[in-house]
Amino acid sequence: MRLGALEVKLQPRASLPGWKAALISVLAIVVALLLFSVLFVLARVSPLEAYREIISYAFFNRFGLPLSISRGIFLLLCTYAFIVPYQAGLWNIGMTGQLYLGSLAVYAVVLALGGKANPSAAYPAGLIIPLLMLAAMAAGAAYAGVAGFLKGKFNVNEIVVTMLMNFIAFWLVSYTIKEGGPFMGGSGEGEGFKLPAALNAPLVAGVPFTAFLALALAVLLTFMFAKTKVGYEIRAYGKSPAAARYAGISGLRIPVLVFLIGGALAGLAGYHYFAAVPGVYKIPTNYGYFGDLAFYGIICGLIALGHPLPAIPVALLFGGLSVGGRFAQGKLHMNFGLDYALLGVLMITLVAFQFFYRYQIVVTRLEREPADVRVLR
Amino acid sequence: MFEFYARSLEASMIFTFAALGELINQRSGVLNVGIEGVMLFGATLGFIVAQTTGSYAAGFAVAILVGALLGLLHGFFTITLHGDQVVSGMGIWILGFGLTTYIGSAYAGPLGLPRIPTVFGVSPFVFLSIALVPVVWFVLSKTSLGLQIRSVGENPVVAEVSGISVARTRYLCVTVGGMLMGFAGAVYALNYNPVWNYNFLMGWGFISLALVFFSLWNPWILLGGSLLFGVFWQLALNPQLVLPGLMSRYIWRTVPFAITLVVLLLMSTPWFRAKWGAARPEALGQPYVRD
Amino acid sequence: MQHETINGFQRGAPVLELRGITKRFPGVLANDRIDLEMRAGEIHAILGENGAGKTTLMKILYGMLQPDEGEIYIRGQRVKFHSPQDAIALGIGMVHQNRTLVAAHTVLENIVLGHPRAGRVLNLKRAGEEVAALCERYGFKVDLKASVWQLSEGEKQVVEILKALYRGARILILDEPTSALAPSETEKLLASIQAMANDELAIVPFITHKLPIVLATSHRVTVLRGGRVTARLDTANANERILAREMVGREVIFRLERATVERGAPVLQVEGLSALSNRGYLALRNVSFTVHEGEIFGIAGVSGNGQHELAEVLAGLRPAVGGRVLLDGKDITNASTLERWRLGMGYIPAERNEVGSIGDFSLVENTAMNYYFDPQYARRGIVDYKAMRRLTEEIIAHYKVVTPGPDVRARNLSGGNLQKVILGRVLARRPRVIIANLPTQGLDVGATEFVQNQLIEAKKAGAAVLLISEDLDEVLALSDRIAPIYEGAFMGILPGGEAEREHVGAMIAGTLPKDLVV
Repeated sequence: MRLGALEVKLQPRASLPGWKAALISVLAIVVALLLFSVLFVLARVSPLEAYREIISYAFFNRFGLPLSISRGIFLLLCTYAFIVPYQAGLWNIGMTGQLYLGSLAVYAVVLALGGKANPSAAYPAGLIIPLLMLAAMAAGAAYAGVAGFLKGKFNVNEIVVTMLMNFIAFWLVSYTIKEGGPFMGGSGEGEGFKLPAALNAPLVAGVPFTAFLALALAVLLTFMFAKTKVGYEIRAYGKSPAAARYAGISGLRIPVLVFLIGGALAGLAGYHYFAAVPGVYKIPTNYGYFGDLAFYGIICGLIALGHPLPAIPVALLFGGLSVGGRFAQGKLHMNFGLDYALLGVLMITLVAFQFFYRYQIVVTRLEREPADVRVLR
Repeated sequence: MFEFYARSLEASMIFTFAALGELINQRSGVLNVGIEGVMLFGATLGFIVAQTTGSYAAGFAVAILVGALLGLLHGFFTITLHGDQVVSGMGIWILGFGLTTYIGSAYAGPLGLPRIPTVFGVSPFVFLSIALVPVVWFVLSKTSLGLQIRSVGENPVVAEVSGISVARTRYLCVTVGGMLMGFAGAVYALNYNPVWNYNFLMGWGFISLALVFFSLWNPWILLGGSLLFGVFWQLALNPQLVLPGLMSRYIWRTVPFAITLVVLLLMSTPWFRAKWGAARPEALGQPYVRD
Repeated sequence: MQHETINGFQRGAPVLELRGITKRFPGVLANDRIDLEMRAGEIHAILGENGAGKTTLMKILYGMLQPDEGEIYIRGQRVKFHSPQDAIALGIGMVHQNRTLVAAHTVLENIVLGHPRAGRVLNLKRAGEEVAALCERYGFKVDLKASVWQLSEGEKQVVEILKALYRGARILILDEPTSALAPSETEKLLASIQAMANDELAIVPFITHKLPIVLATSHRVTVLRGGRVTARLDTANANERILAREMVGREVIFRLERATVERGAPVLQVEGLSALSNRGYLALRNVSFTVHEGEIFGIAGVSGNGQHELAEVLAGLRPAVGGRVLLDGKDITNASTLERWRLGMGYIPAERNEVGSIGDFSLVENTAMNYYFDPQYARRGIVDYKAMRRLTEEIIAHYKVVTPGPDVRARNLSGGNLQKVILGRVLARRPRVIIANLPTQGLDVGATEFVQNQLIEAKKAGAAVLLISEDLDEVLALSDRIAPIYEGAFMGILPGGEAEREHVGAMIAGTLPKDLVV
């Protein structure tokens, strides 16, 4: 395209330095929030006021902030569950089902220990809580592992498999907590039984300890990708399965491995939200909502370009936006689903911005020929 | 029992419309995993427009239009910007999922229009969906346009040097495919189950996507698959019809998904692939960049 | 009149002229004031090495690129091509070296694809009759109902020519027309080319090497070097030496130095090996041979005769359906790829961009492809990237790889430089056996020479080298023993020094010379 003496061209990037990628990601979020404000305008709400309500509740309110952090940590774990397979070029969109399975495993263990019948019993929390977490991770891993195995062994599309398994898990949870299911609580509202108080996860500075675990995991995962042999194998497989095979990397082991890790992390997210966040401590009747939130993990993972550390601020921001959005929706008398709408707008904006990670706009002057014309190699 | 089969047929018609739309996409080499999102948009906007105007025609028209627009959007991201087809499809799905939840929540509840009259006891769309299958088959395998579409899906470089515009052909397919998906959503919301609820498609789009893989990209097999899946779906909703009292109704709801998984697995075994594997469009999922 | 000037072309009359064609790319002058003239009924070869500007010129002729300067005339009329469609409309047809056919479609579907006369509803019957008539006229034989993936390279080329002719091409551009063909197929093709030239078509083959074919078939030759025309002569006045000198710019020695090394113990033993192709048919049939220390064992063959499957089976990338493979006496038939690397196998794959390297990885990370599992470079599951970087820098220095540094992504390297990196990192493992699959394909003369010399050096150092090549001259020049392969089976194993080019040529085409005792 020519503009006077200037030529404007789109060129594929040869490389993308980290700070530029971060800039594009931040820009994508800003543009998405601008686009999102259209919804406020349509609902005759001032976007400035709406954002002020959202942000102030999410991050500057003593009720909102802990909610935002717990939510953000939940999204962060879901993001890891997405990122690990993503680094291997595979799409795990089954965090929802995996976290459901994780929470089912938690309550299965509690049920087996008699926690449903006797909620006030004393338990050795230091022993049982790690057991619950392990159960959640094992169940999530096993559930996701199916997708990894089918992908590695038979090349079945992992997107379809994980999504179908989301629906299966969704109905399984309904079965367990509703209409006389084994985990149904006493309230009769179709929700799970309450976690015995002795097994409530300890809080550190008012935040469940899982938050710190999640932050430590970011460092661990970063180290794994950057330095370890298995990290190298995962990345090589992600960039080129054919080249990875040539290098002796198993085309079955890697898909299975990344889905096992991803599923375990999603299972941990299930433990976190349904057994460690204050005020929940059960599988609630609206568990579907938390399952849907897991899809934020895809967006966080993509915005962070598959890197665990940058995912932390993004997940915390989105956690806050979703908590604040719910609050603003009530306060400003807007329709249900504001946080869902934000999810959609963020995602589609990010898709549009993918372009800028790959291409750059180059403006050149047309006047002179390049001076260093030489013969082709 | 007639009622059961009639409703099964009506379930299949939705699978057929949506999966045919996806099949047309994929034959041109474009994978659209956002099919559920397009259907949600078609269903929700079709529902709202039909309810507010009182006109079914307006509802369907809007659903087709929004399907076309989302198809074009997918085309813009993947064909013009050479974006990753999975990323774009995911974006469209999550956009549909998120935005329709917000837009539709004010209209939650029944449609409140007189039902569309049935023909021989089933929805007229059943006949339309079955009639569409030979049409798509004929266009794809017997016409010049079909050869173009298949070539673009198999090998876009060859198509381009043979004088075919890859971009134009793919845009045509994503648009027409999107229209069918949007229409499928509207058939669901205006005819099959005219009660708006958040995310009320609950996986119809993803099952349709699996159906296309199952069909080996052949419209006739796709029709067979739709009929089969329609029965399973209806069975999952009404287990008491066949096996009263066996298992919780929630467990039954998992059955269509579990069966879809098993079918996908069977057709991915080495035995099956060796026999039929060549059917997959070679360039499926790959962006085409002209140099 | 009609028979004398078919479509307005008259024998000997100039049909296509290029005047002062210049094309620049950023930092590169690809075509520099090129003048050309082609006449009806003439076979006019364009000769040049990779990088001489042939590809650019070809693309300009076919409308895929527009020249920065210069003019194109067709029958004296100045024309401008904006796309291949314009060129096709003016009677130019192109037969690409990288086949432009849809593998899943039938021959006929490929021929009518995109043709305006195909009809809205395909009329394949009429088209079939028309194409059959073309086949009859020029002596082509091909099953129009077969799927293209079932065809041999020669048949695919015929389909491409038919496709161009069906669209009314009167000027046929052939890109490396004989490069992938067996000698017998080459003969048939040359006969058809003569028949077409007799029919007043202008034929313009673009050729890198195979000078004897140029001398045997063409009427005139134009030689390109460094984007310029360096010679333009009647073939009658040309010989191999003149053409080679003009093409390379210096006297060329046609023989590589053959190093004779004492043959050592057997390293790689293959017994009755069979394997399936991707499409599921038996592509490799009961092949047996042994490669010794200090020996280059060459496998000569036309593309698609099972040599690719053989390489993959040996590398552990494809399962064997029969037979055994021994490495230093150890059975590795079912060993994983990784075990083979560990036991001292080194594999240089033919697909250097898709398999041999990862485009998005830096050179350091690419080097790691053959070392990440090595205890020397990865301890307790941690990869020693510092050591990897040192090794990469050594390879870059030792192999004179042109790159800004070891952190550049592999996709930014040229083919020759990338191949040097792959070769370097494989050879640095000091493998017992090296499987080199088409190691010089697509490389320029300098890089080819370098790669060949490295293989000879490895052999001198005592490695067993299995060289798979489609370039007969390369196999003949490098190998101590030669196995011509045809339809998945060896036609024999010949001693390298004495093998006659003609014999090997006949054998890779599936015929056993009568006077040859194997």
